[in-house]
Amino acid sequence: MKNTLTFLVLLLCSAASTLEAQQFISRAGHVRFFSSTPLEDIEAETVQMSAILDAGKNGDFAFQIPILTFHFDKALMEEHFNESYLESEKHPRATFEGAILNWEELNPTGGWQDVVASGNLNVHGVSLTRTIQGQMQFNAGSWEIRAQFDVLTADHEIRIPKMVRNQIAESITVYVDAVLTPR
Amino acid sequence: MVRFISPFWLAIVLFGLQSYSSLGQSLLDALDTEPTAHPVTATFKDTRVINMQSNETPGAGVLHFVIAHRFGRINEGAYSLWGLDNASMRMGFDYGLTDRWTLGVGRSTFQKTYEASIKGKLFLQKSDNSVPVSVTYYGVIMANGLRWQEPDRENLFSSRLSYVNQLIVTRKINDRTSLAVVPSLIHRNLVDITSKSHDQWTLGLGGRHKLTHRVSINSEYHFLVNGLDEATTNSLSLGVDIETGGHVFQLHITNSQGMFERAFLTETTGRWLDGDLFFGFNLSRVFS
Repeated sequence: MKNTLTFLVLLLCSAASTLEAQQFISRAGHVRFFSSTPLEDIEAETVQMSAILDAGKNGDFAFQIPILTFHFDKALMEEHFNESYLESEKHPRATFEGAILNWEELNPTGGWQDVVASGNLNVHGVSLTRTIQGQMQFNAGSWEIRAQFDVLTADHEIRIPKMVRNQIAESITVYVDAVLTPR
Repeated sequence: MVRFISPFWLAIVLFGLQSYSSLGQSLLDALDTEPTAHPVTATFKDTRVINMQSNETPGAGVLHFVIAHRFGRINEGAYSLWGLDNASMRMGFDYGLTDRWTLGVGRSTFQKTYEASIKGKLFLQKSDNSVPVSVTYYGVIMANGLRWQEPDRENLFSSRLSYVNQLIVTRKINDRTSLAVVPSLIHRNLVDITSKSHDQWTLGLGGRHKLTHRVSINSEYHFLVNGLDEATTNSLSLGVDIETGGHVFQLHITNSQGMFERAFLTETTGRWLDGDLFFGFNLSRVFS
C-alpha cells in the first residue's frame, strides 16, 4: 500500500513537471498582412513575431507581434500606419492568447493537420474573442504553425478617415507562420 | 505523527500547488522581452516645418514634390484682396536616394532663383533616449537667375551664387509635440555693399503640436545673430499642417516672402506689428 502511494506521488509530480517543461517557442515568426482595394494594394510584413505553445493537455498557445517592426514598401504608408492607424507608441504589441482546441487529437507524425485556435486577439488595445483556423505539423522536433485570418479595422477601433476609405480595406487579411522549437 | 499524513494527500497538495503556480502566469509573459530601442519616426509631418527644413526626408526611392505660394502683403488691403492678387511661387523636387539622404532641386519666381540641395539624417533620435535628438544636415546652393543689371560689365557666374549650411536638431518630445533648433550659416559670393560681410549666422527655433492625427499647428522663428539692418526683420511664421493621405497642406502666415533659405533667413522685411505679412501655402505630394 505504502509503495503504491509513493509511486503515485512520484507519478503525479513527474506528470506535473513534464506539463511545465514541454513548451515550444519561436522568436522569429513571420507575419504578413494585406489590404486590397480596387485603388491600392497595401502589404507589410515582419519576422519578429514571438509565439509559444504549451504542449500540455490544453494546447495553450500565444503569440505577440511588435507593431513597429512591420515594414512597408512605401515609407509614408509605414508612417501613417504607426502614427494614425495602429498608434504604435500607445499600443506597441498585438497579441493572441488562447488554446488549440483540437490539440489532443493532433498526430505528431501526421504531417500538416487542420487546427482551430480559440482565444483573445488584441490589436490596437481592443481585445476580441476569436476562433482562428490554421494548420500545424510536427517536423524534426519542432511544431510548425501557419494560419490566415481577417482583422476588421472597425472591430478594433482603428479609425480610417472617409478620404482614404477607398484605398484601405475594411477587412485586413493576416498571414502568420512560425517554427516553434523546444524551449 | 508523520505517518498519519498520507502520501496520497501530500501528492494532491503538491500537484495542486504546482498547477496553481503555472496557472498564475500567462503564456504571454514568457514572450515578453526588453523592448528594443527604435528610431523615433514622424517628428514632423513634412520635410519643412513652415519655411525651414524639418528633420524629415522622403525615404528611399520616393519623389517628393512641393508647390508653394506666398501671396502679396495682407496690409495691401481690399483693393488687391489682401495680397491674393500677387503671388510668388516655388516648385521643388526632392528625391530620396536612401532612407536618410535626399537630393533636391527647386525654382522660385522670387529673383528667378534656382536651388540644388542635399539633406541627410546624421543621427536619429532613439525611443529609449540613448540618442536624445535627431541631427540632420541641409546644404543648398542658390543661383540668382535675374538678368545682370549692367550687362556691359564683366559679370561672373559665381556672383550669382549663395550658400546655406544648416544643422537641424530635432526632438520629438511626445507623440504630439516636436521641437527644432536650427543654426544656419549663410554665405554670399557677392554682397551689395563691400562693407557687408559675406557670411551671416542665424539661429532658428521651430515646433509643431498635433491637434489630431492629421492636423497640427506649427511655428518657427529665425534670429539673425549678426544683427539687423534698417530694412530687415527676423523671420516669424505661424501655420497649420493638414495631412490627407498622400498630400500635406501647410497653410501659414509669415513675414518672409522668399521661400528659399537665404531669402527667408536674411532678407525678410515684413513687420508683424504693421500687418506686413504674407499668407501662403506649401502643398506636397509624394510619388513612389
